[in-house]
Amino acid sequence: MEKKYLDYLFKIRLPLTLFVIISTFIVTYYISRPERDGLGYEPSQPINFSHKLHAGDMAIDCQYCHLSVEKSRYASIPSVNICMNCHTYARKDRPEIIKLTKYYEENKPITWKRIHKVPDYAYFNHSVHVNKGIKCETCHGDVAQMEKISQVRQFTMAACLDCHRNPHKNLPYLKVVNNGPENCYACHR
Amino acid sequence: MDKKDFWKSLKDYNGSDDLRKIKENEFMEGVTDDFELGKLTKLSRRKFLALASVTAAIGATACTDYRDKGEIVPYNKKPEHLLIGKANYYASSCTGCSNACGLLIKTREGRPIKVDGNPEHPITRGKICAKGQASIYNLYDPERLQYPIIKGRRSDWNRVDSEIIESLKKATEENKEIALFAGSVKSPSALRVIENFKNKYPTAKIYSYQLFNESARQKAWEITYGTNDYPAILWEKADVILSIEGDFLGNEGNYIENTRKFSQGRNIVNSGNLNRLYVAESRMSVTGMMADYRLRLSPTKQFKFLMGLVNNLYKKGSKIKLPSYFESYLNKFDLAEFKNNEKVKLLIDDLHYNRGKSIIYAGSNLPIEIHLAVNLLNEILDNTGLYDSKYSFVNLLPLSEMNDIRDLCDKMKAGNVGVVIHLDTNPVFHLPSDYDYVEALKAVPTVITISSTKSETADLSDYLLPESTQFESWGDYYARKGVYGLQQPVIAPIFDTRQKEAILLRWSEGINDKFDEGRYRDFIAETCREQIYNKIKPASDFKAFWYAALHDGFIEFNENVDKPVFNTRALDELTKVKILEGDYTLIITESYFLGDGRYANNGWLQELPHPVTKVTWDNYLSISPATAKKMNLDMNDMAEVSYNGISLKLPIFVQPGMSDDTLHIEAGYGRKSVGVVGEGVGFNPLVFLTKNSNNSPFVLIGVDIKKAEGKYTLSSTQEHHSLDDTFVKDFHRIRKIIQEGTLPQYRKNHHFLHEDKDELFSITDEHKYDGVKWAMAIDLNKCTGCNVCVVSCSVENNVPVVGKDQVAKGREMQWIRIDRYYSGTPDEPIVSNQPMLCQHCDNAPCENVCPVNATNHSPDGLNQMVYNRCVGTRYCSNNCPYKVRRFNFYNYRDHFADAYYENELTFLVNNPEVTVRSRGVMEKCTFCIQRIMEARSEAIARGEEFKGAGIQTACQQACPSQAIVFGNVNDTDSEIAKLRKHDLAYHVLEVLNVKPNISYLAKIRNIHTEEIQ
Repeated sequence: MEKKYLDYLFKIRLPLTLFVIISTFIVTYYISRPERDGLGYEPSQPINFSHKLHAGDMAIDCQYCHLSVEKSRYASIPSVNICMNCHTYARKDRPEIIKLTKYYEENKPITWKRIHKVPDYAYFNHSVHVNKGIKCETCHGDVAQMEKISQVRQFTMAACLDCHRNPHKNLPYLKVVNNGPENCYACHR
Repeated sequence: MDKKDFWKSLKDYNGSDDLRKIKENEFMEGVTDDFELGKLTKLSRRKFLALASVTAAIGATACTDYRDKGEIVPYNKKPEHLLIGKANYYASSCTGCSNACGLLIKTREGRPIKVDGNPEHPITRGKICAKGQASIYNLYDPERLQYPIIKGRRSDWNRVDSEIIESLKKATEENKEIALFAGSVKSPSALRVIENFKNKYPTAKIYSYQLFNESARQKAWEITYGTNDYPAILWEKADVILSIEGDFLGNEGNYIENTRKFSQGRNIVNSGNLNRLYVAESRMSVTGMMADYRLRLSPTKQFKFLMGLVNNLYKKGSKIKLPSYFESYLNKFDLAEFKNNEKVKLLIDDLHYNRGKSIIYAGSNLPIEIHLAVNLLNEILDNTGLYDSKYSFVNLLPLSEMNDIRDLCDKMKAGNVGVVIHLDTNPVFHLPSDYDYVEALKAVPTVITISSTKSETADLSDYLLPESTQFESWGDYYARKGVYGLQQPVIAPIFDTRQKEAILLRWSEGINDKFDEGRYRDFIAETCREQIYNKIKPASDFKAFWYAALHDGFIEFNENVDKPVFNTRALDELTKVKILEGDYTLIITESYFLGDGRYANNGWLQELPHPVTKVTWDNYLSISPATAKKMNLDMNDMAEVSYNGISLKLPIFVQPGMSDDTLHIEAGYGRKSVGVVGEGVGFNPLVFLTKNSNNSPFVLIGVDIKKAEGKYTLSSTQEHHSLDDTFVKDFHRIRKIIQEGTLPQYRKNHHFLHEDKDELFSITDEHKYDGVKWAMAIDLNKCTGCNVCVVSCSVENNVPVVGKDQVAKGREMQWIRIDRYYSGTPDEPIVSNQPMLCQHCDNAPCENVCPVNATNHSPDGLNQMVYNRCVGTRYCSNNCPYKVRRFNFYNYRDHFADAYYENELTFLVNNPEVTVRSRGVMEKCTFCIQRIMEARSEAIARGEEFKGAGIQTACQQACPSQAIVFGNVNDTDSEIAKLRKHDLAYHVLEVLNVKPNISYLAKIRNIHTEEIQ
């Protein structure tokens, strides 16, 4: 009886359990991949700002607000006084603008939820990419059509390298483009 | 049945049978029955716990917003000229010592992260010393004073101001003195503040005191030439230099300026210039390490030696005629002691044949008579053309005579002083103990100390007022003729601190208005308008002039200087000199990196290896090998030094090249109250200072020394890194780590270094580098071993402080070190310095052995280190022939002194462009990859091809002698491409064929023989 039980254990139960565990892991891994990479992350922001309205319908240039994108590592989230350039006059009666004005007058910074994040140990440089002619949409998606910003592309090392290795495929709109650097120090230091 | 006295129940009382049965059993029925497993729940305890924890885990996961990536908080109103991710630079001035060097402070998002020299400053030309580099740590020191303290209790400025003004008024009414105890004052505005203060409180008196100062040189100059302001020296024009106990390259005068000028005279690689440096000294100094000829000379013999030179050279001819009485006095000095010394003969010849092109210099610690003799000798040799009067040192407020301070102490003890204000000074630590300053302070009703850290003096004060650091203060400085330096704050005061001038100004102007930081700025602008603008009368209006000056950090203007005329009064002084003798002579010098103790709480400076001995975190008693043998003393033994009834026990360091029977201790250590980092580090030799010193206060003749009980451990960085040469002498020369030559040898054959070279071949194909390829060249002719590069690198690359115990285990983290090698004999060593950092080898041995490919090669020739891949096997470090890799045995910010530097404040010092490494990863020099990448991104922004011109690594930028050159070797126009092909260029351990990208330019010794002696 003892032997029979072990036979059952090793021949059927153990492989079955392992199979279930491994296949669950693999299935979950792939299914949850976009979720884990943050795809579709669309948090609520302190002010209901619409990129569709500003960048899309009114066609304001990205760099009017994200002013350091050509010069610095960071694109930078606009400070409140940039919003107030227009909203001192424009649409002062709307509830979201009243909220904004209150932030400005109380001299309180707005705590926006972060959507796109590259890890601390990767030193991504916006200016290098933008100055090479890469469009914002390539990584950030068609922001001009987004009412609420969400993440549409993965920000993983594999995604970076895919573009660095196959720039022609990923950036068809660029006539002249070289492969991006692939060495470690290009991003990590 | 007996009736019972005690009963539990009626049944018991009545004596029931059932009860008796029950009582016969120990337990109630059923208690001991076996469990019926079938009836129990299937859920075992283990399973229950497992399920409970799974539930908790799922609950926790579901409840946290795991997709949350934090927040981005932009400015509400972004300051103009600030771009997130881009550094801003501001010109300012350093207040670390009386040189007031020009600074260029790098700030990121409003916080200062790096300090370098202001490249346009006429004196320092973009370089500052190690203390200046590390001073940024003082801004973020967690133990900085953060609020005013009254008698040990937290207070506020309103109360402090009103109470102190009351005390000041009371002292004035009672006609008691108000003593302002200041350091050396170089600021015209501060001087005006003090004048205002004196007008308001007429009994106020200023005392200016600096422990290590140039007053002997200044007074000698005054006696010889009748002017206050002694000149700088044009070292670059000198062909022969004689320094007597003078450390002009190490820590005397403006040694950063001196180093730059001196190295211009050592530019054999580019211009073929090579000066000859003679050093006659008793200790081994940085200048001594650079000497072509070094003469060991005890302090007691220095005056005789110098006068002997005067006598000898005067007889060979002179620019000035000396009176006959002096000529006969001179005849007493005949150099008989040095009759057989070859070096002295060569020295006399060199000085004689290079009249007008040589300079003699004496150490600041030496007594006035030596400086007088030096002035005389320079005059005889017609060397006065090398005095730089254009940039003379300005004596704005003369230092107080020691008699004045002695009188102050007496007045304090007699109760004639109402208030003492210490303006960032620490007299309790600095003044000789026989002044009894501690007792004197007790007799003063109100003692005020303005300081940014606690100190021995602060502990005895009634009011302790926190001072802003140099990064939070305004200032103006007039340290050199023709240069007016400005200081501007680059960050608002982090804590509730004020700068000392603003505090004094407020006390003299009243406290009716709210305190305004800008008041002192306006005050400086007034000074600038009155003293500078109105004098030079520029075309622009004052506002434009002022902003331009703030932007530049200094104003340069022409000042009339009188030509100094030699005054024979100096000769009289020289004839009065009494020569003292004694068995042992103790010399006390200022610490290279802690100054007079002011920087004792700075971990970076404490951990910086001493330029000569390579000892960190300590001072010690240096003695010569012969004296050690005679006294039966060895390294790390304890010795007891006594002088005037005071004794001090401290460890021995046997220093090759010291003169016999001379003892040397560096001061600045042994602070009792300064902070966790500096307290109890080292020993305080200032206890030996006495008011009765009849020589220089720092040269004590006739001290006693004896062996003491016990052992001590000095932590030094040299033994465990270099190939120890005790078992094979001159190993560094045999292995060709150090390659050197002499000038005659070089003149005869420029290619002498590469004559007997082995042919090296590789068994694999060489990798091609088509684009940019980085390399560095280090000119060993120029390197003085000053260590400024080490601090600059540590600040730039977030290198942590590890502490004494870790240094003792060889775990220091500095990415660059200066290796110091001795050759010759222990008595007359020849010193070679060599900066050692990652060589970025083309065939890097570290890369082959990494099991996880965490270190590998980039297409531009860099040896890359990826922290996230590193698993900490340390194979790479083991396989590195240069031993330049550093392993994080701990998270050192957490490990050092109970996480002293791990706090919100100190983290602001970190360079945001460089990863902060944690425990378990290897790290090393990256050739400042963050600076390369920054330059690359700028080239791309401009749409240019990236050629790599103009990039400076942190060590290169800091090097005062400009010994380091970095660049792209594939750019044939670049300096580095030329230097790599220079005849003097060699690689360390070339035979290994690892093909390093760092070339060293061999040192050429300017001596008369072809062989190095």
